[in-house]
Amino acid sequence: MKKIISLGIAAAIAAALSVPSAMAGETLDRVMSNKKLVLSSDPEYPPQSFLNNDNQMDGFDIDVAKEIAKRLGVELEIITPAWDIITAGNWGGRWDISVGSMTPTKARAEKLDFPAIYYYTPANFAVHNDSSATKMEDLDGKVIGSCGGCTYEAYLKKNLVIDAVGTPKFDYKVTPGEIKTYDTDTTAFDDLRIGDGARLDAVFSALPTIKEAIKNGYPLKVIEPAAFYEPLSVAVDKGDPEFSAKVAEIVKAMHEDGTLSELSMKWYDADLTKAQ
Amino acid sequence: MSFDDSVPTRVDNSTLVRAVLVFLGFAVVFALLNTGSGTMARLIAPAADPGWSARIAAALVLAALVTANVVGLKFLAFNVQVILVWIQLIVLALVFFASFNLSYGFILNRLPFLITQGAFTTIYISLVAIAISCVIALIGALAKLSGNGVAYGIATFYISFFRGTPLLLQVYLIYLGLPQLGFIIDAVPAGIIALSLCYGAYMAEIFRSGIQAVPKGQAEAGRALGLHGGLIMRKIVLPQAIKIIVPPTGNQFIAMLKDSSLVSVMGVWELMFLARTQGKSEFKHMEMLITAAVVYWIISMAFEAIQSRIERHYGKADVR
Repeated sequence: MKKIISLGIAAAIAAALSVPSAMAGETLDRVMSNKKLVLSSDPEYPPQSFLNNDNQMDGFDIDVAKEIAKRLGVELEIITPAWDIITAGNWGGRWDISVGSMTPTKARAEKLDFPAIYYYTPANFAVHNDSSATKMEDLDGKVIGSCGGCTYEAYLKKNLVIDAVGTPKFDYKVTPGEIKTYDTDTTAFDDLRIGDGARLDAVFSALPTIKEAIKNGYPLKVIEPAAFYEPLSVAVDKGDPEFSAKVAEIVKAMHEDGTLSELSMKWYDADLTKAQ
Repeated sequence: MSFDDSVPTRVDNSTLVRAVLVFLGFAVVFALLNTGSGTMARLIAPAADPGWSARIAAALVLAALVTANVVGLKFLAFNVQVILVWIQLIVLALVFFASFNLSYGFILNRLPFLITQGAFTTIYISLVAIAISCVIALIGALAKLSGNGVAYGIATFYISFFRGTPLLLQVYLIYLGLPQLGFIIDAVPAGIIALSLCYGAYMAEIFRSGIQAVPKGQAEAGRALGLHGGLIMRKIVLPQAIKIIVPPTGNQFIAMLKDSSLVSVMGVWELMFLARTQGKSEFKHMEMLITAAVVYWIISMAFEAIQSRIERHYGKADVR
């Protein structure tokens, strides 16, 4: 009897310890049995993900996630933890998937799996309308803002590593005098709009985000061409290859039947789903 | 000037001198800050060129207004002074916000959701955390006052850690750390746990000082009457301590109301989260931030009112 109890305790401890490291098929099983795909998305990045006029989650990423859920035959539920909590990994089953325009960098790949790239974002510099800069080389030695801990900051620091297959080649064309980082790109735009050189000389961000800011009345202009194109991937927690394979298959089908191109045209007025 | 005739007029003179000094001081400050250059200058002299003359004129008019205000208010009753000062400051704040060119339609459109979802969640989290933290604080204070070494050790360790680390860090530790141990909790409970533990630690010290402030003779008198320890604490010491504890505890509650915004990092749709995200879609950040500031302020005023009622209840003994 005692032996059984101690065995039971040992099993309970083992079960408790093994919860975070998902077993094969666990995520897929959970999604299919709950009939629900839980998406984590940070609604601070219009037009990828934001709260619309009806206070509903909306945007390109949300539409892609809805389509993935539809093809899995389940409902989509959205939760909104902060970006750094999503990228920290070890989701512990709180959510199943991130369709968050995430760049599959080497450091992130240690925490998360990246089963499928769904589009490519051009990264551009934006300057104030009053600025005399016309090309990237004009920004050498200037104060440049970007989001902190993101690929744009890594590019400015010249240590960007994207280890995804099919990543377009790029060179570092700008040597900033000073890099200022922000919690999100939109805060950097707020600093740039104050005036040319008031706090920032330029912001380095995703072209769609810059265009969205300009559309909403920010006095900015885009420096062409793009500094680099970054592949953006769906992310899932480590440890469920079956779920990863399923997601990869669905995204591949969405590439092939034109669904992704259609959504890209809807939100970005351009087809960003193919590598440039 | 002889000594005799200077005495009766001294008061009036000094008031006048002070008024002139205030006037000149403000005029110089306004001129230097160029406060009146925009709207004010156009109001005073619509045709004048925007230059130094307009700048000085605007500064003089503004300074005259301020001086008349400061001097004039002195002649009124205390209550009237307070009310007028509040009204003036609110008008100033409104003018300040109006200068941002806010889109009021946008605010009106988002406000119902900000309140029904955001403010409701904020109040819910705060109230639950307040209730739990009070219990933790009482246990912590009693443990720290007890002669039991283990209880004292645990209490001091707990208070030291949770007062000694940032609340935001505790939120992350609880939300990201507990799943590593196999306890997967949702964002709202994680936030409530973090807030309760952090504020419980601060309030344990407040409770302890309140209990210690009750004169020792009170407990001794209880013992002389043959009452046992628990009863003395419940019926004699605590009722007297609460009166001392309430004002600083009310402070803590108001602070917690605002610190509950840190829960937004876990994606809880409370007031601060919505204030940050609702404006993002159309890049109208100031609109929602200012609105949320006003909502927070109104809620904390309600908390203040509740605190003063509780104070009045436990302060009955002081009424003579």
